[in-house]
Amino acid sequence: MSAISESGPSAAPSPRPRVSVALCTYNGSRWLPEFLESLLAQDLTPDELVVQDDASTDRTVSILEAFADRAPFPVRLVVNPVRVGSTTSFERALGRTRGRFVALADQDDIWYPRKLSRLASILDDDPILTLVFSDADLLDAAGRPTGGQLWSTRKTHRQLVTREIVPCVAFARRALSTGCTMMVRRRAVEAALPFPSALNDPVAPMRHDRWLSLVAAAVGTVRALPEALLGFRGHPDQQTGVLAPAERRQRLLATAIATLRAPDPVRAEEHEARARQVAEAAHRADLWGDFEEADQLRRVVAHHLTRADLGTTVHQRTRRVWAGVAEGDYDRTVLGAAAAAADLARAMHAAPQREDA
Amino acid sequence: MSILRRTRVLAVTDSLEVGGAERVAVDIVNSLDRSQFEALMCATRCDGALRDVLLPDVEVEITGRRATWDLAGMARFARWVRHHDIDVLHTHGRGTMKFVALCRRTGLIDTPHIFHDHYGRLHLDRRATPGMRSALRTGVDVYLGVDSRLCDWARTSIGLPAEKVHLARSGVDLRRFDDVDPVDLRTEFGLEGVEMIFVMVANYRQQKDQPTVFRALAQLPPDLRRRIAVITVGSTTSEPGFFDRCWSMAEALGVTENIRAVGARSDALRLLAGADGGLLASKNETGPLVVLEYMASRLPFIATDTGEITRAVRDLPVGYTPEPRNPTEMADAMAALLAMGPEARREMGLRGRAVAEEVFDQQLVTRQIQRVYHTLLTTPRGETSTPIGAATGDTLTYR
Repeated sequence: MSAISESGPSAAPSPRPRVSVALCTYNGSRWLPEFLESLLAQDLTPDELVVQDDASTDRTVSILEAFADRAPFPVRLVVNPVRVGSTTSFERALGRTRGRFVALADQDDIWYPRKLSRLASILDDDPILTLVFSDADLLDAAGRPTGGQLWSTRKTHRQLVTREIVPCVAFARRALSTGCTMMVRRRAVEAALPFPSALNDPVAPMRHDRWLSLVAAAVGTVRALPEALLGFRGHPDQQTGVLAPAERRQRLLATAIATLRAPDPVRAEEHEARARQVAEAAHRADLWGDFEEADQLRRVVAHHLTRADLGTTVHQRTRRVWAGVAEGDYDRTVLGAAAAAADLARAMHAAPQREDA
Repeated sequence: MSILRRTRVLAVTDSLEVGGAERVAVDIVNSLDRSQFEALMCATRCDGALRDVLLPDVEVEITGRRATWDLAGMARFARWVRHHDIDVLHTHGRGTMKFVALCRRTGLIDTPHIFHDHYGRLHLDRRATPGMRSALRTGVDVYLGVDSRLCDWARTSIGLPAEKVHLARSGVDLRRFDDVDPVDLRTEFGLEGVEMIFVMVANYRQQKDQPTVFRALAQLPPDLRRRIAVITVGSTTSEPGFFDRCWSMAEALGVTENIRAVGARSDALRLLAGADGGLLASKNETGPLVVLEYMASRLPFIATDTGEITRAVRDLPVGYTPEPRNPTEMADAMAALLAMGPEARREMGLRGRAVAEEVFDQQLVTRQIQRVYHTLLTTPRGETSTPIGAATGDTLTYR
């Protein structure tokens, strides 16, 4: 089959396919062939592969075109005229998918043969699920297993194993899922599109996979599947990935110090950006009639806005932090406790004046 | 003198107020074969309207416990169980199960215990807490799940052995639906000229999904929409604010003319008898029993594909089971039913009634549960080869 453009004759209406794969690529010629081979080896053949290339300058596009000629399913490739980043690329790719279920793909991973069939069967068996995501084995740059797993390395394993149904509030507080491990039901894709401009806020951007999970949980039910269904490659060129333990500790320490040192206006802008993103998800939930989830998300919004403006006096500021702790607004994890501690530390100092005040 | 005593089954619920689990418990109790079983009923917390539905030969006890760890309540319950020489405890609902399992684990009783799980919040929470795991593993002999997802949960998350876990689809007492005097819905609710009237029996609360119905109506082309009306039967005050938000949504979508919200009604079966179709949208269900009621009422139906009953009938020509929370699929189903015409709809409803009789008749469902009782009472417990509660002295029982 050949790659087709959006305006081509094959874009005419046809029965809705079952499984679409949405792949975004950017200068991935080194890793892409291995991913495409793993896609061909799936025991459930996808009904279409929708590719959005982000203006690659290497052989990525020619590799995809050659693949389209031999793939047993349609490959629908669009190349962005200018680079827009992975979140916008995925938004465009998702908008072009037609399947009842959509699996997200990264160019540098290796899918195990049962990945698509396993995720699709879970969505088939339980129609209330809007999104399911799995764990992944970690690979080094050469594709060799490192022995680690994605959830453990990101310290989300315990949370996800003990609570397989992940509430929307959890995604509002923290990124818990990774795009390449997901399969999303069509109605969650429809609820998530178009992506709000607030996602691209430079102060606190929200990636496509977190947004999708957040909306899918707000208008449906998201399940975490504690099985590794792919190899997740770590390499220096990737946009997102996993850090080695030492690197992670160093990053956390640097973040903690920066958090404590950062002047309030910067922290405030981050919280305001996050509040706008979560408020947008709450709005989508309202539109779909999921009022309970919308209310829960608005509580998170209010919490971010409170943290953005704790008050002017030390007494007022500390009291607001304690109130947030008492009411359970901080996540009940180590990260939540750390956030509360950092807020409390900042609250002990007098509030600096914001420029726009 | 030899005494052949019937097996004494005690159905245990939280209350006798009207609810899905309580309704199932009462239907089972009422339909147990009286030549083999003596049926008793215990509400561990409080009495309720379902007491009037119980057959007169069913002895009822209200324990009045206040919490799971109500020691006085546990003692009262255990004393009553021992005094009545109960052979099988059949609990409904997780709170009740924990209470009874605790009585077992503390040694107050050692009666075989069957737990009937009706848990309906699978869309929100599937945690297996240590307390739940412990109660199920050590205080329950047989697990009956009304939904295959619950059975999977019991096996994989709780770790119950497969032979302890059984799927128990709910049933319906078909006799309640015969000779029902239908309400003329068009006259009663000002819907003259409407071609197809759906009745949706569901309280206005978050688990149900009236918004999807409203959005589906809004998606229909105006010429189709004006031929359809939906009568929602169920409390509008069970969750404060929810109805108001739903109604605001209906107003914003411009579909209020197609909807009549008539509140909770005691004549729901008469409303069903006067309807052209049954409708149910919910975020999640493990039953849902109301679909059986639609089929028993000879109604073609549209019910979101969320529970064991819709799973069982989704491939049969008795109704439509659109994906949950998908207004487009629901609108398509509405349009399809409308296009069928009255005769084809009537035939579909009759097929649904036939399926209800063949598969979901309460008598059939209760026979299956009786077999579970029998197997439990004749299977050795644990490693020992002694039958559970084997007959002693000159008293013979079915156990």
